[in-house]
Amino acid sequence: SYYYSGWRPAAGARFFCTAGRGLEPFLMREVRARLAATQVEYISGKVFFTTCSDLNMLKKLKSAERLFLLIKKQFPLNVSSVSKGKIFNEMQRLVNDDPESWLSAISIWKNLLELDAKEDKLSQRDANPLKRKVEENDIINPKKLKTKQMQELQESRECQLEKQTDEATVEQGDFLTNREKSQEAFQNDAVKAVAAPNQKDLTFRVSCRCSGFVAKTFTAQEVGRVIGIALMKQFGWKADLRNPNLEIFIHLNDIYSVVGIPVFRVPLASRAYIKTAGLRSTIAWAMASLAEIKAGAFVLDPMCGLGTILLEAAKEWPDVYYVGADVSDSQLLGACDNLKAAGLQDKIELLKVSVIELPLPSESVDIIISDIPFGKKFKLGKDIKNILQEMERVLCVGGTIVLLLSEDHHRRLQDCERGGIPWNSKGSHTDEPGIEKCLNPGEKTDLSDTVSSSAETSGQGDLDKMPPFGSLVPVDRYRVSLGRTGAFICRYRKSPSSAANVAAGLRFPVEFCFIP
Amino acid sequence: MKLLTHNLLSSHVRGVGPRGFPLRLQATEVRINPVEFNPDFVARMIPKVEWAALLEAADTLHLVEVPKGPIEGYEHDEKFLRQMHHVLLEVRTGPSLASLAGHSRRLPVLSSIPSPFPAGGCAGGHLAVPRVWTSVPHQSRDPQHVAE
Repeated sequence: SYYYSGWRPAAGARFFCTAGRGLEPFLMREVRARLAATQVEYISGKVFFTTCSDLNMLKKLKSAERLFLLIKKQFPLNVSSVSKGKIFNEMQRLVNDDPESWLSAISIWKNLLELDAKEDKLSQRDANPLKRKVEENDIINPKKLKTKQMQELQESRECQLEKQTDEATVEQGDFLTNREKSQEAFQNDAVKAVAAPNQKDLTFRVSCRCSGFVAKTFTAQEVGRVIGIALMKQFGWKADLRNPNLEIFIHLNDIYSVVGIPVFRVPLASRAYIKTAGLRSTIAWAMASLAEIKAGAFVLDPMCGLGTILLEAAKEWPDVYYVGADVSDSQLLGACDNLKAAGLQDKIELLKVSVIELPLPSESVDIIISDIPFGKKFKLGKDIKNILQEMERVLCVGGTIVLLLSEDHHRRLQDCERGGIPWNSKGSHTDEPGIEKCLNPGEKTDLSDTVSSSAETSGQGDLDKMPPFGSLVPVDRYRVSLGRTGAFICRYRKSPSSAANVAAGLRFPVEFCFIP
Repeated sequence: MKLLTHNLLSSHVRGVGPRGFPLRLQATEVRINPVEFNPDFVARMIPKVEWAALLEAADTLHLVEVPKGPIEGYEHDEKFLRQMHHVLLEVRTGPSLASLAGHSRRLPVLSSIPSPFPAGGCAGGHLAVPRVWTSVPHQSRDPQHVAE
């Protein structure tokens, strides 16, 4: 009954998504491609768009944190006013100026969630006992929850990642059993919407987020209270903090005032098919979306960890040959579990091999996507160089590499790119940490001697025109937020120019070895 | 691992050409794992197959009904595609995870680690008996190797 054909708003409804910082361009592209969205705009961590898609399609969004039906977006509150009372009036006007916009948004919301009566296998009678059981088992004090929830929201001073809102939401989600968090949760929302026969009987809860100057003047709690009271007066609804029909989400900052209805109880970023997430699923999907995966490709993640990137890719692009590799037993076993839980164990092969020694012929892999581990374990310089060299070797000409690089790794690579030092040079000159070695003219001469000999042999001329890591040409990069730290999604393509070099093995010290 | 994976792997030996050496299967532990037939996907994998290595592996594992090479118009030949589907994707050798432990860079060795897919299918299953595949140059068929 999950795959019913849902109600679609004929003229298109207006939505917005929250997105992790840096992922907005990916999300804008995704809503256009997946939902044929129009009027797509991005303002400070939110992407607004109009679409006729139904719930099934909306649920497939992969680079968004959460999805909301838009009630209202307007200019920011004028908090330079002297009196707090005047600002409260402005807030009330969010509700009272145009009650119709609230009612029509709610009507769209109800229609979206309403089950197709013919195909609905889950009767209302069945759903309600489940709901009642949950309430009986719930021992959380609603007052405590409200305070904690509000505290968490107040603590966010700047426009941050959705993580905090998600945490607040997840608190509420904790009421539900794991089973409900999946498909049943979606149907539960639907049942609640239908169960409220007319709008006067709606119960609601307001979630507030304030940042910028607004946050300095008001607490999220105060704002929530003002709006809540205005709603009760305007529409006659009742507040219910534990299990309301309707959730109202308000975000007030220096750039806009936005009001919306969360469409799904569980954030889109929290995937039903991923048992244990390593990398954030939205970023994993964004990386895969950059890799230009086509049917029949051979896609490798040579440092796959728990396999998050491969899971996201395999779900979206199934007719592809996926291989994951890692050196850690515990990670690989976790990845195995993940594959099984997602039903993807036939689609993704796992190997315990090292990224710097891949048992693959040269130029046999179409696409490499990987999250380069951060942290002290991975020294800057030499390790990155070896990793990239081996990736370059196994990659087909014209193939794509998408990497997630820490700020440190990225800075290091940029400095060496600028210095024009190719990474495949012989010797340890680029192994030392620090930028100076790269740019030292003395060192450069040594290196250019080494490199130009191979360059001459291959018929190439100018050293400066040579791509930084042999034949890997940077295509583009995107800075994304990982919560407390930032990182770069970097895309490279293997150009044909140095293919001859690699194939002839000129870049590798010749180690003749033999097997008894 | 799937035979397709085994086929795509090779021991890359530096300085000795780009293709490296295919990994000869010594173990005979074989399982058949049913996989939904997707003709388009199989057809796309055919160009990637290293046929000599595949036939040798199939021989070692005593598989029957293995096509000897791509036939003309294979993209639309369901019988051919089904046979290749079975060989490449349903035949599994050894445990699902294989390790390439380089105790010497010059001697890649593929050995098994505890398999999470024992018969019962529960995670963290029994410790598999280590099976060792050594890489040998595909061309050489010396008497020394025959004994292995």
